[in-house]
Amino acid sequence: MPFDQLDLKRAIAGDERAMQRLWSQHAPHIDAVVRRLCGDPEVAADVSQEVWMQIFRALPSYRGDSQFGTWAHRIAVNRTLNALRKIRRLAKLEVDIEDDSAITEMETDRTFMAESIEQAMGRLSPGARMVFVLHDIEGYTHGEIGEELGITPGGSKSQLFKARAKLRKLLAHLVDESPIVAGKGKGYVAPV
Amino acid sequence: MSHLSEEQLDQIIAEERSREQTPLNEWRTIAARAREEGLIRETHSSRAWGGPSSQPWMQAAAAVLLLVGGIAIGRTTIGLPGAGQSVASAPQASGSMAATTGSSAQSDVARTNASFASIDDASEALRRAADEYQRASEFIAANNASGGGRDSAAIYSARAAALDQIVNATESALQTAPHDPVINQYYLATMGARVATQQFVARPVALRGF
Repeated sequence: MPFDQLDLKRAIAGDERAMQRLWSQHAPHIDAVVRRLCGDPEVAADVSQEVWMQIFRALPSYRGDSQFGTWAHRIAVNRTLNALRKIRRLAKLEVDIEDDSAITEMETDRTFMAESIEQAMGRLSPGARMVFVLHDIEGYTHGEIGEELGITPGGSKSQLFKARAKLRKLLAHLVDESPIVAGKGKGYVAPV
Repeated sequence: MSHLSEEQLDQIIAEERSREQTPLNEWRTIAARAREEGLIRETHSSRAWGGPSSQPWMQAAAAVLLLVGGIAIGRTTIGLPGAGQSVASAPQASGSMAATTGSSAQSDVARTNASFASIDDASEALRRAADEYQRASEFIAANNASGGGRDSAAIYSARAAALDQIVNATESALQTAPHDPVINQYYLATMGARVATQQFVARPVALRGF
């Protein structure tokens, strides 16, 4: 059942069922963004609550100029970044990003093999993870990322390059082991 | 150390992008926060007849379900003649009721079989049916004095208890499938039947009947 204008009016009026319909339809995507940006599932669950409160608070300001999901997605990203700033993670990140040393090769990373990209993203620094998530998964441009994170587009590109390099290494074993990737056919699996 | 190619990483990213993920919280957690902040001002449980659905057509559909099914079940359980045979043999009060509700049921069936020009047209027909159902229920409650007694009281009480269980079960189901139209219809129909049954249970014995 799609979320329509009538539901929107009811949700603004405080109708629980309409709000639940909205949440049910969009939570999988919205919460996925929050989860990826936060990295830590427990932090993400808390941040998600804040995100949804903000979405419900802001409902009266939704004018329908864009898809509701797009509008809510923007709120989710902004709110998540704000939440992470509050817990003093992003403050360090913003310094690190410009410092160009956000990705540090920990000793354990040399032997660590991620079982999934989600796990591998958890090995990235917060700043590199955010740049990677926003650019490669959510489709933000480097300019938009720069505005969101308060960094230059060049800094964003640099972080993305390093993030991808690290992910390629952490996920290398999946080429031979994972049916998801290996199942694409011999032509797909390049020698590594 | 080996590396994925850029293309291989892009493939994994594409799969991650399209991967379905479960919400981080349950709705009850979000709803509790929203309620605390005053963002939720109307809960579905406070709408006795309206139930969980905000769709008028669903409410009306449930009303039709109750109108046809409820009357038939009620008559069967209380031992009264069915709608189709009641006009000639039932007492005058319930006879006129049967005529009224029987014609309502027939007109509803006729509408159901009719082809509608639009969703609005069908919704309007269902709303009319809902109104008819409510008027018929009130008429029955006010005029039908037959069938009262200890047996029928026990039947109504048992029915109320059973309906409570169904309401609980459908509410639980709606937590995981809030959009399921079948569950919503059952929920609405059960809520309506429960309210009506509770009214009969609370009514003095001499006024009970269906």
